[in-house]
Amino acid sequence: MIRTALGLLLVTTGLGAQSAPGPAAAPPTRDYVAYVVSEAVDQIAVIRFGPEGAKVERTVPVGISITDPDGPHGVSVAPDGRFYYVSTAHGIPGGDLWKFDARTHEPLAKATLGYFPATAQVSPDGWFAYVVNFNLYGEMETSSVSVVETGEMLEIARIPTCTMPHGSRLDPTGRRHYSVCMMDEELVEIDTREFKVARHFFLTAGKEMGMTGAPPVRVAGGEHAGHDMGGHGLTPPAPGDIGCSPTWAQPSVDGQRVWVACNKSSELVEIDVASWSLVRRLPAGPGVYNLAFTHDGARVVATNKRGQSVSIFDARSGKELARIPTTRRVTHGVAITSDDRYAFVSNEGIGSEMSTVDIIDLATRTRVATVEVGQQAGGIDVRR
Amino acid sequence: MSPRLLSLLLAAPLMLGAQIPQTAPGAQQAAPSGAPSSIARIIVSPVQRVMHAGDTLRLTAEARDASNKVIPGVQFRFSGAGARFEGSVDASGLVTSGSTGTMPVAVVAILPGEQPKVERIEVRMVPGPAARIAITPAPAKLAPGQRIRLTAEVYSKLQDRRADKVTWRSSNSAVVSVSDVGLVRAVAAGKATISASVGNVQQTLAVEVAATPVATLAVTPAVSNARTGDVIRFKAVAKDAAGREIAGLTPVWSFNPGQGLIDAEGAFVGYQPGDYTVTASFGNTTAEAVVSLTPRDVRRPLTVMGRLPRMRFTTEEVWLHPTEKVAYLGSGSGGDVLYVIDITDPAAPFVTDSLVSNTRRVNDVMTTPDGKFLVHTREGASDRKNGVVFASLEDPRHPKVVAEFTEGVAGGVHSSFIFKDPKHGQHVFLTNNGTGALHVVNIDDPSKPREVAQWKTENRPDAGRSLHDIDVQDGLLYGSWWNDGLVILDVGNGMKGGTPSKPVMVSQFKYDLNALYRDVEASGGPGFIRGTHTAWRHKNYVFIADEVFPASGPKGAKDAAAMRAYGQLQVVDVTDIEKPKSVAFYEPEFGGVHNVWVAGDSLYIGAYNGGFRVFDVSGELRGDLRAQGREIGHLNTADMDGVVKNAAMTWGVVVKDGLAYVNDMLNGLWIVRIEPKTTVVP
Repeated sequence: MIRTALGLLLVTTGLGAQSAPGPAAAPPTRDYVAYVVSEAVDQIAVIRFGPEGAKVERTVPVGISITDPDGPHGVSVAPDGRFYYVSTAHGIPGGDLWKFDARTHEPLAKATLGYFPATAQVSPDGWFAYVVNFNLYGEMETSSVSVVETGEMLEIARIPTCTMPHGSRLDPTGRRHYSVCMMDEELVEIDTREFKVARHFFLTAGKEMGMTGAPPVRVAGGEHAGHDMGGHGLTPPAPGDIGCSPTWAQPSVDGQRVWVACNKSSELVEIDVASWSLVRRLPAGPGVYNLAFTHDGARVVATNKRGQSVSIFDARSGKELARIPTTRRVTHGVAITSDDRYAFVSNEGIGSEMSTVDIIDLATRTRVATVEVGQQAGGIDVRR
Repeated sequence: MSPRLLSLLLAAPLMLGAQIPQTAPGAQQAAPSGAPSSIARIIVSPVQRVMHAGDTLRLTAEARDASNKVIPGVQFRFSGAGARFEGSVDASGLVTSGSTGTMPVAVVAILPGEQPKVERIEVRMVPGPAARIAITPAPAKLAPGQRIRLTAEVYSKLQDRRADKVTWRSSNSAVVSVSDVGLVRAVAAGKATISASVGNVQQTLAVEVAATPVATLAVTPAVSNARTGDVIRFKAVAKDAAGREIAGLTPVWSFNPGQGLIDAEGAFVGYQPGDYTVTASFGNTTAEAVVSLTPRDVRRPLTVMGRLPRMRFTTEEVWLHPTEKVAYLGSGSGGDVLYVIDITDPAAPFVTDSLVSNTRRVNDVMTTPDGKFLVHTREGASDRKNGVVFASLEDPRHPKVVAEFTEGVAGGVHSSFIFKDPKHGQHVFLTNNGTGALHVVNIDDPSKPREVAQWKTENRPDAGRSLHDIDVQDGLLYGSWWNDGLVILDVGNGMKGGTPSKPVMVSQFKYDLNALYRDVEASGGPGFIRGTHTAWRHKNYVFIADEVFPASGPKGAKDAAAMRAYGQLQVVDVTDIEKPKSVAFYEPEFGGVHNVWVAGDSLYIGAYNGGFRVFDVSGELRGDLRAQGREIGHLNTADMDGVVKNAAMTWGVVVKDGLAYVNDMLNGLWIVRIEPKTTVVP
């Protein structure tokens, strides 16, 4: 952070011995811009990657509090690229969703949401943003997904879903929103016309079941109050634990399937949207965490939080095509460029380690560049 | 401090004045691409949108096209667009008022496939009907001919102040007359009742006019020689012609010239050296006392005994081992280190060890009273298990972690306080960053911490609840609850039956932060940071300090010019602990007030940009501490060795053995001695 604050833009194509550009990787022929947020240091890094290499083009402070962390967690770029939106987790106590001008990086407006707003996505028409209120605080109870009208940044709905909702992704039409319940073993589908939960799906192996309506409401002090959350995806499951502990739901590009990352069991679960039934379970990397589809629908890229790596899957066969080491521990988010050439991957690191963003060439399946960013880099998105 | 502070100070081109307020009405940004709305306007009912605080109001809407025809199938979503501490509106349009104020509400009309249309309205939330009137002062007995101005304050059932014009009446104007603005005149001996009324609500004050006129009046002490800042309590003694004292009279007090204050009870404090005349009056009968004030003369030189600059991270809390020459120093802005510092030689402090944890901020640290263990807070852990860490101090210079406690406080702990008493054992009191709740954890065995209680302020929305700091003395907890002010809990004192496992509310001192810092909002815009930040009980006072930062710096400003702190310290008299009363204050000309430490008769303050300051708090306290010359010393804790050059951001101080250990967020540790007073030779 100090380095970026001093204006020393890090121009790196690797970190010393960790730099390992693949010999077959051709350099990019155009510029790509990615946004990554660093939760521990209240910072947005704007990363430019192109023929001249990768660099942090600028950093942008975010937050209200001068002296306390605001905790930016999620970032989503508007479809037209004119704005980007950043969720800040910490508030008094509700967090916020911020709207930034992508040209000037000026904050334009913000909306106060629920406890610990985390992953965010803007709808395909750009008119709404969907943010999960992860609610890391206190006892386990049903939390929500906030819907924000992005023109004037108004929270127009806070839809109760489940405990510790995680991940926030819309299908290509914007009619269905998907998130998962880290503590409830469930996938939740929201009807975005009605702003209501339409269906949910129980994910535990052998107990998979699709159901209509919202999951049962859990209140503080209930059966699972104070339930440990497994180190937020860093703790391996105990022997005999078959739990899924889902951390991401990613609809396919045609909207017909939803892929879920089971962080605890290190599996991918594929669900058919029409029949709301299980298609298959696939083994994945250790602590699989976030997912992204290539825009042609052929590949799924998954971050492996406990495995310090990213995996590339063939979407049709479900075969893991490659597992590529990343440059820091706690691999977190992934975003794919619109031409499907590159995946930008955020790596949190631990403690005072600087975070990194690795850029993966999806053709050669190699890491071609890395930049350092502020600590605890999480949410990441690319400008289309 | 978040690293944004460093960004603000170091990276001027990056400084955005990043904090922004809530969206201003009409501040819609350029619309995303897509079909424009066919909705020309939204009509919201009722047209008169006024409601009583504590009540509910149902809003409805309809959409009209350009031809003013109602458009069917429109979904309306109502959203609060501000005033979230004062009330709420649900998506269906039900407004619930929690207090007075103006609630901006946005109505979003949604037609599938079209850009949403937004209409903004305001709902005025006014005090409910008058329910109570308070008359001040409330003299029971007046001297014949005495004049005194009464004030009537009108309140609703929810204790919201109303602006009604009060009707004053006297039951017997031949005894006591009262004007329509509350000016009372004692006409003749007898009894009468003064009433102040609004509608059917009335408050009465029984007044007796003494049968005997005041023949002589004296103010004691008649002559006073004191220093600025000394509180002199005057008494007016009225006697009849026979020389008998007329008891129970309430004089009107005033003084001149000079600056200071005198309250209704005759407590006087002067700010400037010189001669003052204090006057008590009963109508035409007056008496004076004279006061001569000399300078308080408490200024003392300071010496920087030692320095330990910290460059890697910002510096957070400092704490001293109770028996060994060891200091512990936290780190922030991505810092995962608690430094252990040997301070045997204050001129040459050095790091002996460090405790590295899975955290990005070690904000607070404290040892058990016996010095065998320490606790430090965590924020920003990569596994999101924040909470606190306990370490053994078997070797105080080399702490060893023995336990963590994260249950229920995984979202982060900002502050902690250890308190031990023989009856209830040893506990650590924690702030929950997320919920604003207090968590009480038993640490009779620090390797096996177990939560015994949670407590949070009630009868308020969850929004805006934040507990920032904790002080516990004699079984009473002084919680700095941000928007809720100072909250005093019985956690083992017993006065209210409280124990650590069953905290019981004693009292609350809440004040209008927005009114207090209206200038900060005026200069930096709405949405600024302000709240009750820290509290320290000393004798019959609680010193509370606010943390205040503007929402944005001056336009065009960069570096240190772009950011500054504000804030006021208040001295709250808790002689009657169930009725805390603010009696004195300090507000730096530049900078804020962050953490405080009181030892003996000295108040030590980390004043953010204002540096390190020491005040004389001996004797009774009243009024403006700075104006009355109580400042003992000041050090600008900035040099070229810090992570930011020549800029102070003084966090706080711990005092021991005559040395002040001052931590500065940008500069590390300073060890300062307050030297004996020097004799000025003309």
